[in-house]
Amino acid sequence: MNYNNNNHPFHLVDYSPWPLTGAIGVMTLVTGMIKWFHEFNLNLLMLGYLIVILTMYQWWRDICRESTFQGKHTIKVSKGLRWGMILFIMSEVFFFLSFFWAFFHSSLSPNIEIGMMWPPMSIITFNPFQIPLLNTIILISSGVTVTWTHHSLMENNFSQAIQSLFITITLGIYFSIIQSYEYFEASFTIADCIYGSTFFMATGFHGLHVIIGTIFLFICFIRLLNYHFSNIHHFGFEAAAWYWHFVDVVWLFLYIFVYWWGK
Amino acid sequence: MASLCRQIVRANACRNLVLSTARRGYADKMMPDPMEHATGLEKKELLAIQSGNDDPFNMKVLQKAAGTRDNPTLVPSCFDARIVGCICEEHSTAINWLWVHKNHPRRCECGHWYKLIEKTPL
Repeated sequence: MNYNNNNHPFHLVDYSPWPLTGAIGVMTLVTGMIKWFHEFNLNLLMLGYLIVILTMYQWWRDICRESTFQGKHTIKVSKGLRWGMILFIMSEVFFFLSFFWAFFHSSLSPNIEIGMMWPPMSIITFNPFQIPLLNTIILISSGVTVTWTHHSLMENNFSQAIQSLFITITLGIYFSIIQSYEYFEASFTIADCIYGSTFFMATGFHGLHVIIGTIFLFICFIRLLNYHFSNIHHFGFEAAAWYWHFVDVVWLFLYIFVYWWGK
Repeated sequence: MASLCRQIVRANACRNLVLSTARRGYADKMMPDPMEHATGLEKKELLAIQSGNDDPFNMKVLQKAAGTRDNPTLVPSCFDARIVGCICEEHSTAINWLWVHKNHPRRCECGHWYKLIEKTPL
């Protein structure tokens, strides 16, 4: 297998069914969503979820096999993956930009129907110096601990890497629990005029990204425990850390503009 | 069923942690040595860089030799032919691409000679 690489550093992947199953899966997922919306039937949606989750598990498992166990990730491959992750995070930035655009469109020049004021008439907003401030502290601290993990990894400190990554994941879960409690305790819903829409769309997608980031970090934790990383080659973890910092930055924008400026 | 899964996960998740702490003491567990840890093509690349070869895949731009018929620029290749891009003058805006075959030295239109030499793949 090694001698067949034609003397280049690139990884020409072996045949894989996961792109196809992924395409079938997401198609089933969105069709299932439509079936749920119109006919209140969850079956197709559940099937879509299942196919997508199986695809994700197997595809990323194969990537771990190709990199850690087969050594196919040369420096050039790692650089390509870095660019890929950066471009993906850029696309997510634009995704959130659209929700912030909607928020500013409605809040900078409030309509007569909501009282030409922001927050709109009768909306009781969250006090930014209570739970949202706690959430901000939690996420910033998790940014510190994930950086601690990275430095531990690079400085050969396996045990501190485990401890700090565990704390990071715990903080992420803590954020999600507290935010869902806030959602239950909110005095307004997504249906409550444009305020509710912009608030829950922006914070809701952010919460989803926190959960995704936490899962990514957790997978890195499992891989770390199984000695997949060395002190110079641990791009899977770096990608998770970049994603986590992105999630943190989005929250800071949310906190400052939606919670604080918008109160 | 769920509680059974939980039991299995908990037992296995703690096992590695407990084993590693018992084996070496939590405070001084190190990351694996990157040379020992690497395998396959990645390891070959690392070994090559360690032994001073910073271009194991011959991807860097070559410095031209004299380029006469008796002293051609030697182009390493593991195969029977390689594409060569001749930058004829220092500030040329176009690259002149040509195939160079084994045992068949070839001349670019600017007058520079190239010759393939063997190289074992990494």
